[in-house]
Amino acid sequence: MEIVVCVKPVPEAESRLRPDAAGTGFDPDGVKFVLAGYDESAVEQALLLRQAVAGSTVSVVALGPAARVDEVLRASIALGCDRATAVEAADLPLADPVATGRALAEAIAALGRHDLVLFGKQAGDDEEGLVGAATAEALGVPFVGHVIDLRPAEGGGRFTFRRSVERGEERWEAPLPLAVGLQQAWNDPRTATLPAILRSRKATIGRRAAAPAPASSGSSAPVRFALPPPRQGAKMIEFATPEEAARKLVRLLQEEAKVFP
Amino acid sequence: MVDFSLSAEAESLRDLARKFARSEMAPHAAECDRGPRFPEEIYRKAHELGLMNLNVPSEYGGSGLGLFDQCVIVEELAYACGGMTTSIIANCLALEPILLGGSDEQKRRVLEPFCASYHLASFCLTEPGGGSDAGGLKTRARRDGDHYVLDGEKCFITNAPHASLYTVFATVDPAARHRGITAFVVPRSAEGVVPGKDEEKMGHRASSTSTVRFEHVQVPAADRLLADGEGFGLAMRTLDQTRTPIGALATGIAQAALDHAARYALKRETFGKPIAEHQAIQIKLANMAQAVHAARFLTWHAAWTIDRGGRGTLESSIAKCFASDAALHVADEAIQTFGGYGYMKEYPVEKLLRDAKLTQIYEGANEIQRTVIARELLRGYA
Repeated sequence: MEIVVCVKPVPEAESRLRPDAAGTGFDPDGVKFVLAGYDESAVEQALLLRQAVAGSTVSVVALGPAARVDEVLRASIALGCDRATAVEAADLPLADPVATGRALAEAIAALGRHDLVLFGKQAGDDEEGLVGAATAEALGVPFVGHVIDLRPAEGGGRFTFRRSVERGEERWEAPLPLAVGLQQAWNDPRTATLPAILRSRKATIGRRAAAPAPASSGSSAPVRFALPPPRQGAKMIEFATPEEAARKLVRLLQEEAKVFP
Repeated sequence: MVDFSLSAEAESLRDLARKFARSEMAPHAAECDRGPRFPEEIYRKAHELGLMNLNVPSEYGGSGLGLFDQCVIVEELAYACGGMTTSIIANCLALEPILLGGSDEQKRRVLEPFCASYHLASFCLTEPGGGSDAGGLKTRARRDGDHYVLDGEKCFITNAPHASLYTVFATVDPAARHRGITAFVVPRSAEGVVPGKDEEKMGHRASSTSTVRFEHVQVPAADRLLADGEGFGLAMRTLDQTRTPIGALATGIAQAALDHAARYALKRETFGKPIAEHQAIQIKLANMAQAVHAARFLTWHAAWTIDRGGRGTLESSIAKCFASDAALHVADEAIQTFGGYGYMKEYPVEKLLRDAKLTQIYEGANEIQRTVIARELLRGYA
């Protein structure tokens, strides 16, 4: 089975982001980009499936400026992925999930066979959750999001998985090919060992340039990027009954926060 | 041109160490200090991730890192807990004599099985009668046919109660002083090897320290490192290699103290404003930051010198001595910044002071480092 995992370089959780000069994104200067969150779970899922289905290989694909994608691809190789492809795109409108999906789909198609395409259910930075579906659409493969615990079904050929939904859980079964968005941390992603990290530094990364996005593809673009206003001190409401609490809260929302008239 | 940035490789090693330190070590640091408790499960995990036998070449099953990369890792570990770090890097110290003095046959025979799974080793040089005066050690090694018989006692031995392997320095001829000292590899399983009880220590309490008695222990001649009388030089060359990471360990403690102090100073208010806005505290923080910076770069410089093939005796002594003094000073100032709270065990900074203190003493007391520095220095003027 050929498994492809798409990962996105995202700013390290402790990063302090500043708006860039144009005010439509953050300034990447000094920001460290890492493999994180949902994507780590997707890589872990791929590695578990490779173990479960003999003869499988795991390819990892990332799109973005070369320096950024190299780090997350090497991190994925250190975790155990077999090969890595960098889709280099310095100028691609990165915030456009349709253009991103198209570029990823081209790279995945160029790898050859792809039975299972895995994503984090959303990126760890913008948390849009659109690229998985957009890529699957461009590849012509069905997509399911918010998935945990993907495993080969007994009898072979099909896969089972679960989705958490309000007040319950769905159990699914689906044939290949399939694209899946995975939940975060349900599978306790492994940590790469020191020798694996050293080996990953020497691994060869396949490279391709992202096809330039057609001018008409701009389905979305960020208008403004700004930091949230500094947090004000919280106000505690003292109350004896829930009714009193609600009355005081509504008054504060009207008169002090001026959220509604 | 000189380059002060980390390579991408060093950065990824630092990230691994940081992740391990903050997720596995830090949450247990206070509890292990209080216990005290020797958190073997953490040390096992460190071994699994390749964070333990850092200096052993990969062909023998270690991580095969140069000194610079080791220092980057050690600083991160020590940021979370100095005591655990001491226990994690004690293998590097204990195995270094084998790396420097062992034959290829000895390295394969001893290191391969040792590194293949979780094991601890201890470096046995110091004795109750003298630490710094290593030339005067009393443990005897008497040749008897194809083996030696060891008798004597070592003290302050890191990890000794838990170790499966000891590198032991003993004299074949006490009258010859340091020219009689000879090094041996002794398994814990050898009859007559008796580790003592855990010492109750001021700091580094997650680490374990005890005496080791050697009572008529038979050691095959094949387990002697180098020749009779070559042990003292081997011990000194070992310490030349392992002194620099102590500078990194001290730097990690100092950085932790600075971070705690700066965060607290921004939060704690007196006279209507955060104490970070009072100049008295700003000057403190500025001085602490200078000390941390200097400690790190002196350590990096010593490691870089040795990795490039230099002897690094002067540089590593400067790094170890300065960084450990800096760690004590910065931890002290962190407590002062916290005021009364800093003196309380409920807050993390008093532990840093207790942990920092040992870095001035072990792997060559700072008095010895200063003697070495002066000797190396004056040689350039004579």
